[in-house]
Amino acid sequence: MDATLLQQMLLGALLALSVYLPLRCGQLSLATPGFYAVGGYVAALLSTQVPLLAGSGSTSPLWALLLEMLLAGLLCGLLALGIGRVVLRLRGIYLAIATIALVEILRVLNLNLPFTGGATGIFAIPQPFATPLGYAGFTLVLLLAVCWLCAQLEQLRLGRAMAAIRDDELASASLGIDTQRVKVLAFVASAVLAGLTGAIAAHFLNSWNARLGSFDASVTTLAFVVFGGSRLWLGPVIGGLLLTALPELLRPVGDLRLIIFGLVILAGPVLFPQGLITPERLAAVRRHWPAGRSPEPVP
Amino acid sequence: MNGRTPRPKPSSTSSQPAGQSLPADQALLATDRLSCRFGGLVAVNQVDLAVMEGEIFGLIGPNGAGKTTLFNLISGLGAPSDGRVLWRGEAIHGLDPARINRLGIARTFQNLRLFSSLSLLENVLVGLHHRARTPLAAALLGSAGFRRQQRQLRQEALALLELFDLADQAGRPAGSLAYGDRRRVEIARALATQPKLLLLDEPAAGMNPAEKDGLCELISRLRDRFSLTVLIIEHHVPLMMRLCDRLAVLNFGERIALGTPAEVRRNPQVIEAYLGGQGTAGGPPLGGGR
Repeated sequence: MDATLLQQMLLGALLALSVYLPLRCGQLSLATPGFYAVGGYVAALLSTQVPLLAGSGSTSPLWALLLEMLLAGLLCGLLALGIGRVVLRLRGIYLAIATIALVEILRVLNLNLPFTGGATGIFAIPQPFATPLGYAGFTLVLLLAVCWLCAQLEQLRLGRAMAAIRDDELASASLGIDTQRVKVLAFVASAVLAGLTGAIAAHFLNSWNARLGSFDASVTTLAFVVFGGSRLWLGPVIGGLLLTALPELLRPVGDLRLIIFGLVILAGPVLFPQGLITPERLAAVRRHWPAGRSPEPVP
Repeated sequence: MNGRTPRPKPSSTSSQPAGQSLPADQALLATDRLSCRFGGLVAVNQVDLAVMEGEIFGLIGPNGAGKTTLFNLISGLGAPSDGRVLWRGEAIHGLDPARINRLGIARTFQNLRLFSSLSLLENVLVGLHHRARTPLAAALLGSAGFRRQQRQLRQEALALLELFDLADQAGRPAGSLAYGDRRRVEIARALATQPKLLLLDEPAAGMNPAEKDGLCELISRLRDRFSLTVLIIEHHVPLMMRLCDRLAVLNFGERIALGTPAEVRRNPQVIEAYLGGQGTAGGPPLGGGR
């Protein structure tokens, strides 16, 4: 497997986790690609416009990337905080629709703002890593850190409150849980993660434009979670990795690959309505192989 | 059951709905001309109630009388169209349900609202949410203090389940439990929030007579042990007659009677509205049996 594909898969897994976080407390948000795009623009603009961060112009220092990620995460988090307090009053499908609208608004803004480069976007973003493998290593560290946080969440009261809201929001509220606060928190965490991912992706792809944050991307990232399963953090990770790899691995079969890809996405929910990874299936796997080589989601 | 100390009583018998309830400012919970309208339907109409600290206060009435709506107004799940809800004399209507819970009011639901994908233990732990506060870093790194607190909370949750004879099923998902057991988990979960006032919405629904007896005893025991005040809706009248210190009767959103079980049982309006007229005062349909 070449490192470029690996890097794409890791980015896919991160985006899937970004969709998973609000879903963990029952909120179907499709805003991830919007924040992904914003994060990418922050990195692209800073590293092409700010001489200090641009390095030599073709390569940039690692600390510059980290700083850009920090700022991208911060901006996305603040945006999500402001927007989340309003849109998270909506429930179910209405929240999904509102977040689709949000993605569209951000896309049109990115297309038309004076400093985002219009339809062609921003080019020649300097590279903090010389090879795709360097990117993949860096992204893997981020993915593992996020996975670890998600695994910890299972034991924290915040994680329990999120699960409670997913099961029954009204009952959670009457048990004293500030449901709005928990939901906003999950939405902000999701946006920060998408922003961080975008900042890495902008460097990796070398150019950035408004098409990267579109409704299509919303659907794709949602498919990662639906396919992999939304009960445990491992589900979106597996879904993101597999579904990003599949179209590339199918390249040899030509245009047929799009049909096969579509069929796989269709077959997933039909054969595994809860997604590939469910607590029951994981428990069964663990009974088979007590040693458990795969990463363990919940104790 | 009847050896209880007498509870505060209204100053006169309760055939007249207005003007004889205890002073609202001494009550733990009071409603003051509370009304709730849904379009043209008046679900709760100018209801005055005063629940005194430590009593078990029953709310009975035919289906659609507005009992659950009244609970929703008290617990913040609905907003009154008119009137006030007073907690220790202060208005609390319009606050969100989480705030009202933090004031010390917990409730159960008529149509069970457990977290079905969580285990019994986790359901109760959600109720302990506010006791589980730790600095995030300590929790993430699993510091000794955090682990100790986790253990302590688990023990507390288990102890609550133990009270309801459910400790041996603590690990089971709540969705897989028998109906009567789920009702008990709901009460345990509500108690975990350390309420002063517990609102029970038809806790005996779906239970068999033996379970109902057990529940009746359990509620009295809980009241004494946690120094609770209990406001309870239940259709099973004999149970209510035995359990409650005072009863209010709702019909079409209006409070038609208020008083001790004996007083309510004799009230002609109640007999007509709720008991269909066949009940003779104090006779077997109301007083005896289960």
